[in-house]
Amino acid sequence: MQDSLPIMAVISGACYAFGYYRTPFVLVGLLLQISYLVLRGIALGRLPLVGPHDTLFFLSAAIVLFMLPVVRKITGSKMIMHAAIGLAVFFMGLSFFYKPHNSPLPPVLRTFWFETHVAFSFFSYALFGIAAIFGVMSLVRGDTEENVIQYKMVLVGYCFFSAAMVFGGIWAYLAWGTYWLWTPKELWTVILWLFYSLYLHARLRQWWKGRPLSVLAVAGFIIVMFTYLGVSLFMKSSHSF
Amino acid sequence: MLKKTLEFLISLRTAVWLTVMLIFLLLYGSFIMPVHNEFLALHTVALFDWMREMPVSITWWLWASIAILLLLATNTLVCSVESIIRKRGARQWLLIMSPQIMHMGFLFILLAHLLSSYGSFKAVTFAYRDAVLQLPNSFEVKFNRLNADIDPSGYITNWAADIEYFKDGRSVATDRILPNSPSFMGGIGIYIKTVKVSPFPVAMIEVSKEPGAPWALAGSVLFIAGMVTLLVLKIAREEESNSPFV
Repeated sequence: MQDSLPIMAVISGACYAFGYYRTPFVLVGLLLQISYLVLRGIALGRLPLVGPHDTLFFLSAAIVLFMLPVVRKITGSKMIMHAAIGLAVFFMGLSFFYKPHNSPLPPVLRTFWFETHVAFSFFSYALFGIAAIFGVMSLVRGDTEENVIQYKMVLVGYCFFSAAMVFGGIWAYLAWGTYWLWTPKELWTVILWLFYSLYLHARLRQWWKGRPLSVLAVAGFIIVMFTYLGVSLFMKSSHSF
Repeated sequence: MLKKTLEFLISLRTAVWLTVMLIFLLLYGSFIMPVHNEFLALHTVALFDWMREMPVSITWWLWASIAILLLLATNTLVCSVESIIRKRGARQWLLIMSPQIMHMGFLFILLAHLLSSYGSFKAVTFAYRDAVLQLPNSFEVKFNRLNADIDPSGYITNWAADIEYFKDGRSVATDRILPNSPSFMGGIGIYIKTVKVSPFPVAMIEVSKEPGAPWALAGSVLFIAGMVTLLVLKIAREEESNSPFV
């Protein structure tokens, strides 16, 4: 079973490529991605959310999962769906540059708080990614409908991210005796949370509406990427995955 | 003067620009931290104790962040009060209140950090079977048993310690500590970090006090409650009016 999993992942990537022509292929691709995660989870006996391979793959699936219900409701959805699929395929491809983490988890990671902390973080990253796509589209086309959906994505992503931070804090308190650690990763997490708090407050002021807000949505996803990958690669942190 | 100060504190523009400044300060801090070894000691002492000891050249961004957070907290409080007063007659009161509940949660979390920055405590030690540790709150803790589960490949899969609390020489309570399952007595937490079984069992133990923890939890509950309420009400309103939520 374990040997067939990479093939399943590759087929899901191929389905996404065909999705540029026919939308049902995107659905098949997503189902295959979810199956990959479920089967891998069964084989490991835990949520497959440890290490860059699993998290990038999860992020890729989450982007498609959140994108599908959104594009159903908007005009000119094809281009947005293509951009989201491109992003999902990029993260899936990137996941194969990393070796899957198959060893048993240390006891400190075997907790509900850790699993929800990671899952919610990546749900929020996916939503922020989709918001950034709408941000780019809005900057290119100047469409107000895209600004509204961009805001919705940010708001729901912010909810997931805030919950992820709370669950991470509870886990840290139970595991290490403190809900806050002074490391670059934690600082960047707060920067990200503050940035999207800024987005949600700035949109209430007339000056920020339209293009400035779209720029914020795009910049937010750059911060997401640095928080997720950049900090781990370039800075020492407790979040060494 | 008073009117200008109030206008400054009540303004959403103030909140936006204070947040921008805070983001830049934390960005600066995130790049400074890995290059100064002094920051390694920050995990072992209360923040304010550490800041007092360290040169301003490496702590100025923290002092500035605290100052901005104080302004932001005041701004949040004043804006929330003003909003509740201004919109008290509105029909969808819960929709108006939910962001204010989130603000309250945010303020509680700031208070938690303030309390922890003043009075947190952390110490790490090693404990053998029958070892006794004196806790800072006049309790003593005895390690009656250390246990490790080892799989056939020799990997330690889990560990635990049975502990007993004493006060004035009298046994007052027993407990079991595991990873992610500490024991608390009189505001002090006992954590088992890891164990080593050979040549004889020894556990790495952390004793910590985090006075802000209950406030952080209360703040988190409020923040999430406000956030979920806001989201649910916005979605419900969108479905009702079939218009995008704004």
